[in-house]
Amino acid sequence: MSELASPLQASIGTHPTERSIFTDPVRRLGAATRSVLEGVGERARFVGDSLLALRDVRTWGPLATQQARRLGVDSLPIAVFIALFTGIVLALLASYSFTGAVPLYFVGTLVGKTITLELAPVLTGLALAGRVGANIAAELGTMRVTEQIDALETLGYDPLAYLVVPRVLAGTFMFPLVVAAAMVVGVGAGCLASVMLLDLAAADFVKGLRLFFQTFDVEYGVVKAASFGCAVTFAGCWRGLRAFGGAQGVGRAATGAVVVSAVLILVLDAFWAVVWLLGRETAG
Amino acid sequence: MKRTNDFLVGATVLAIGAFVTAALIWVNQTEVGQRRHRLVARFHDVGNARVGNAAVIRGVRGGRIEAIELAPGGWVHVRMALDPGVELPRDPIVLLNESSLFGEWQATIDERASQPRDETVRRQIVEASGGGAVVPGATLPGIGKLTAVAGEIAGDVASVANRVETAFDDDAARELRGSIRNVAQLSSVLAHTVRAHASDLDSLSGQLRVAVGSMNRTAGTVERMAQQVDTSASNGQVRQIVSDAAVASAELRRAATQIRDLSERFATSQGRLDAFLANGDSVMAKINAGQGSLGLLVNDPSLYRRGDSLVMQLHALVQDIKANPKKYVTVRIF
Repeated sequence: MSELASPLQASIGTHPTERSIFTDPVRRLGAATRSVLEGVGERARFVGDSLLALRDVRTWGPLATQQARRLGVDSLPIAVFIALFTGIVLALLASYSFTGAVPLYFVGTLVGKTITLELAPVLTGLALAGRVGANIAAELGTMRVTEQIDALETLGYDPLAYLVVPRVLAGTFMFPLVVAAAMVVGVGAGCLASVMLLDLAAADFVKGLRLFFQTFDVEYGVVKAASFGCAVTFAGCWRGLRAFGGAQGVGRAATGAVVVSAVLILVLDAFWAVVWLLGRETAG
Repeated sequence: MKRTNDFLVGATVLAIGAFVTAALIWVNQTEVGQRRHRLVARFHDVGNARVGNAAVIRGVRGGRIEAIELAPGGWVHVRMALDPGVELPRDPIVLLNESSLFGEWQATIDERASQPRDETVRRQIVEASGGGAVVPGATLPGIGKLTAVAGEIAGDVASVANRVETAFDDDAARELRGSIRNVAQLSSVLAHTVRAHASDLDSLSGQLRVAVGSMNRTAGTVERMAQQVDTSASNGQVRQIVSDAAVASAELRRAATQIRDLSERFATSQGRLDAFLANGDSVMAKINAGQGSLGLLVNDPSLYRRGDSLVMQLHALVQDIKANPKKYVTVRIF
């Protein structure tokens, strides 16, 4: 190549070092742009193909409840555990902040609003991102590096319908349920902590809870949780199916799935806050 | 395994769904199977009232604001869902007001007769009346407005204080100190004077005591008299006296009227008598002066004598006529 290039360089009279100073950054920028666009396109195509695979109900139907149990039912204990301690700590923090300035029954308001709108969906989502996202990425990554997925394709199974769709559906459907349970447990724990650890009657806590409560708060948290479940499962599937390089590759895929899931959860949290909460506030 | 998964997932969905639904019903205080009343009120402005705020009747939460929406004619309609069993006042009005210092608002349903005396509120109620089934409403000023007004008042007070501070300089303080000193001297002089005239004051107080005793006795007498009057009043004597006095006064009034008529007539007669006497005086003066026939008759004796002679002659003539009528009277038919 260099031999071929030398006559050309000689013919145009340009020094190779001088040319690379000007052209390399541009070339790198173009390569980066192409890489980003390729990445976006690949992910979009992956999501699109997965949605198309929804038509293959016979393939994903029998597997859906199994995934729902693994991703949802089996995740309930960790979600409840997180919500329990979040509610307790939140009640104590609220009481500490309100001392002497704000009536103590506002502890119920703060615990209710914070748990339903933000903490239950996001904390549960982050916890499940670690548990579910890593689990899916590791499982699918292992299948990829051990060529089980190739075997499925050979047998005529659509890997998206067989592996991705049941997980994504299970995550999208079960995350809201887990988060709803976390909401109830979190608020209950806050109430219990207020009664047992603070000088606050249960009736006062309930008064504060009901003061600004709207059903919209629960709707908002549940819809947000559904979006988190969809994002976490898609990220895990994407990383797992693209794993390569043996056990190390599977580990990288699991780690990457968790990181991407966490980032997606925070981005989606901000997205819903801007689009839905802010939009509702502006409209209302 | 597959059936177990299905059962577990289904049970979890059912359990969490029931759990969350029950929690929502409890927090929202929803009465399942019972219909809620709806009450719509109209306002010019709803302040910071929001959907979900409490609707309060006589201080008790009886529902919540269900919807707030713009209505034609510059009105805002606030729809409230009232709990079953809540009875509205006879002529209800709705007042939107802050229920706490933390921006929490509520809709207070009250009777029109017990609305606040504030002129602005009354005007709002009057303007919002006549909406048919829509109840009139008024919005009370929020804490923010009140705080702003209080701030203005505080500013005014501060301004006044500054002016007082400016006016009350060192000279004013010195003058005030001198005035206080003068008052102290005056009070000491007054005390000295009082000490000097203490005996006079004692005497005066003794006389006052006697006077007060007399007044007490008089008061006792008056009281006894009042009791007698009271006794008389209770026996009907006073009523009789009063009625007699009324009759007497009526008669007196009548007599006075008659006396007045008589005196008027008497005055007229007196006038006429005065005129008659004046004329008589004039006539008598003329007679005395010998003026006129009567004057001449009175004052001239020859006329009397001639008259007497004439009478005698007439008497003789009448005697002669009686004795000889044919001499003086001749009767002829043809």
